[in-house]
Amino acid sequence: MLETRNLSKSFGAIHVTRNVSLKLERGERRVILGPNGAGKTTLFNQLVGEITPDEGQVFLAGEDVTALSVQARARRGLSRSYQKNTLFDGLTVEENLGLAASVTHGHWHNIRYDSLTRRDVQDTVREVAEQVRLMPYLHARVSDVSYGVRRQLEVGVALATRPLVLLMDEPTSGVGPEMAKGFHDLLNDLPRDLTLLIIEHDMDLAFAVADSITVLNYGEVVFDGSPEEARGSSLLKDIYLGAWEDA
Amino acid sequence: MQADLGFWVLQGLNALQLSMLLFLLSVGLTVIFGLMHFVNLAHGSLYALGAYAAATAGAAIGFWGGLLVAPFAVAALGVVLYLVFIRRMRRAGPMAQVLVTFGLIFVMLDLTRIVWGAQALSAPVPALLDGRLTILGVEYPAYRLFVIALGLAIWGVLALVLGRTQIGAMIRAGVDNDSMAACMGIDVEKMFFLVFCVGCALAGLAGAVAAPLLSVTPDMGLQILIPTLIVIVIGGLGSLKGAIAGSLIYGVVQTFGAVLFPQFASILIYGLLAAVLILRPAGLFPAKG
Amino acid sequence: MFRHTSLRFWALGLIAAAAVLRALTAEYFGVEMVAEIAILAILVIALDMVAGFGGMVSLCHGALMGAGAYAYAMLTVKVGLAPSAAFAGAIAITGAASWLIGAVCGRSHGIYFIMATLAFGQMGYSLVFEQPVFGGDDGVSGVPRIDLSLIGLDLNDPRTFAFACLFVLGLVYWFATHVLQAGLGRTLTGIMHNEQRMRALGVNVWRIKADMFGLSGMIAAAAGALAAQHVMFVSPGLLNWTVSGEALVVVILGGLGTIIGPVIGAIAFVMLKHEVSAHTDYWHLVVGLILIAVVMSRANGIFGWLEQRLSRARPSSARDVIAHQVRKDLAAQGALEDA
Repeated sequence: MLETRNLSKSFGAIHVTRNVSLKLERGERRVILGPNGAGKTTLFNQLVGEITPDEGQVFLAGEDVTALSVQARARRGLSRSYQKNTLFDGLTVEENLGLAASVTHGHWHNIRYDSLTRRDVQDTVREVAEQVRLMPYLHARVSDVSYGVRRQLEVGVALATRPLVLLMDEPTSGVGPEMAKGFHDLLNDLPRDLTLLIIEHDMDLAFAVADSITVLNYGEVVFDGSPEEARGSSLLKDIYLGAWEDA
Repeated sequence: MQADLGFWVLQGLNALQLSMLLFLLSVGLTVIFGLMHFVNLAHGSLYALGAYAAATAGAAIGFWGGLLVAPFAVAALGVVLYLVFIRRMRRAGPMAQVLVTFGLIFVMLDLTRIVWGAQALSAPVPALLDGRLTILGVEYPAYRLFVIALGLAIWGVLALVLGRTQIGAMIRAGVDNDSMAACMGIDVEKMFFLVFCVGCALAGLAGAVAAPLLSVTPDMGLQILIPTLIVIVIGGLGSLKGAIAGSLIYGVVQTFGAVLFPQFASILIYGLLAAVLILRPAGLFPAKG
Repeated sequence: MFRHTSLRFWALGLIAAAAVLRALTAEYFGVEMVAEIAILAILVIALDMVAGFGGMVSLCHGALMGAGAYAYAMLTVKVGLAPSAAFAGAIAITGAASWLIGAVCGRSHGIYFIMATLAFGQMGYSLVFEQPVFGGDDGVSGVPRIDLSLIGLDLNDPRTFAFACLFVLGLVYWFATHVLQAGLGRTLTGIMHNEQRMRALGVNVWRIKADMFGLSGMIAAAAGALAAQHVMFVSPGLLNWTVSGEALVVVILGGLGTIIGPVIGAIAFVMLKHEVSAHTDYWHLVVGLILIAVVMSRANGIFGWLEQRLSRARPSSARDVIAHQVRKDLAAQGALEDA
């Protein structure tokens, strides 16, 4: 469903991504682990098109999308959430989800009718709000809800585009262990045909939701395998857990 | 061939002279932006005020006195503007500051009309620079050469101050990341104030220098504001390099455009602006990134 | 997100009633003033559409209005088109130019956008001033008004003309609020709040901005074509930066991002202008001071202040959003790390 071939990117002398080749099957849930500065977010930015790679290609559902813009990839079913909340702060939770859903349903560019009150948009908003447990907050303004709710909305907005592939950049970043557990359930309840690629710091979450695990270090893939293999891997312990404890 | 060369030298000097005048204006504007993240749209009005101050003082104490008085007079006004408006607006954000300075354009336009009247003042060229010099076989007014030399000198001094001195390093640190600079113990607010005053003084100097070249009118500030804005949009906000590059590009395109393609002179520069906006929305040499 | 609150309905109804009453009962100067206010109100609605809902604070809307006025004048006087066809033509031509400006400037933000639009406005000014076709400093005179004798109306009668202006204003108000409540307006508002996220959702951002700017330019052109008919002549002064500046002052005075606010701003502005002009030549001094005072007061203009006082659910102020947006753009450019 999502594939990269030899993706490389460097800023000056620093190689932030080196020959990264990934292949995600439809419905696969993969977690990317790696210490701070391993190039995880830079990899995401190249996948969605916010950064152009120096070399290599990105394929979405078999199509080479390397040359396409952010919005063109998004319209082909690639969606992402951000590590740092990237929401429409002055608007309500419902409007946030509605804006995303109105793009999905093709109402974002008309001058005849309100995109947010369309039946299909409203249905999607409700579905997603239930999926990410946002029903009680629909009419609250984003700037008035708690940080944890905003994290849920961050994933919700990405989901409301009804993507084929969803990239999540540290969905539990900054939330407490209790909420992180809630996120595990939330992710496990998502439709099984949705392909997930998740950057995560939280090992528990990684092992709770992942079908497979990729470890990045200094921009390179140093491990690729099942969670069981990852647990046994001493390499992973050295690189990842070592750095984790240092941090 | 000789005539051809003469044409290029003459127009080249004209372009350079216009560039230097714009440089004096845009450099203050752009460094203030780099540090304080707002564009002082009243910068052109300060330039007009510099011209008036130079013309008025020049009538009493001669050109050189006027040239000296103008930057100080305008810097003094800058102090007032800073204390009354700009410092108070710091927390309201850049857009509010821009709008306040936009209001100041209207205010200062009418204030100059109230004080000096609506008709044009003229400022004489000083006796010392009244003649013409011959450069590469071309006779050129000495005063215009003086403007070029002054612009280049100021550029040199600024490059030296910004590049080699401690205060320059502090300013560059502030442009780069003001909160980090504050953490390193730099009194950012004081630095803003200083840079703002220097920027105002340079605008005043530009006005004083321009006074003998153009007629001094209340709307001269607005006439120069648009070219100055084009210069910094093309050059990129916040950098000395951008200011000099933008000034040179504007000077060359405007001057040679006016003689080679008189029909399209004004269209040419706006076309260039559009091209830069499309291809490099942050300008050719933005302060960072 | 634009919504019609009951306060906005009340304000609209009150203004409409007062305007009709004034146009019916006033003397000649009062009627002329109604037309003047209506034309300015049309222009500032156009500006508020892009500035208050897209963060595109344009300083070329005066020039767009001037372009509409000139297009109308040229099409009627020089080309000899029927006034009603010229009216449509002026709107189409200016809309296209405006779309192009929006497409070019839409890539830049905040302060860059202001400067770029100011430059394009001046470009229009110098074009009209320098090209001999446009009559230079003298402009074009003898601009006819639309002939409505078919439906028994004579627009050369000041009162009828004032009503025609009010009618167009009503139409424009309906159109602007309709577009803002349609997909295009919703998406534009989303872009103002978070452009990066909108792009990541699959929105073609520049296209949305250009389209809204084009529509806004069409409305500004309607204001221009009415202004040309009002004084029956056009001059380069119409495209002057001061017109764009005054339009921005009116929007901020009335309340950015409220649509009805700028209309109130236009009423206050024109009435004040006539009052001040009777006493002094230095009207611009007053304009500047008003702008500074309103901006420094931190209230979102007259109507924003009213909304804050009267309604419990405070709609998010477009001004805060834009201020925030500018900071974010700067941060994105690396000029500013954290605001």
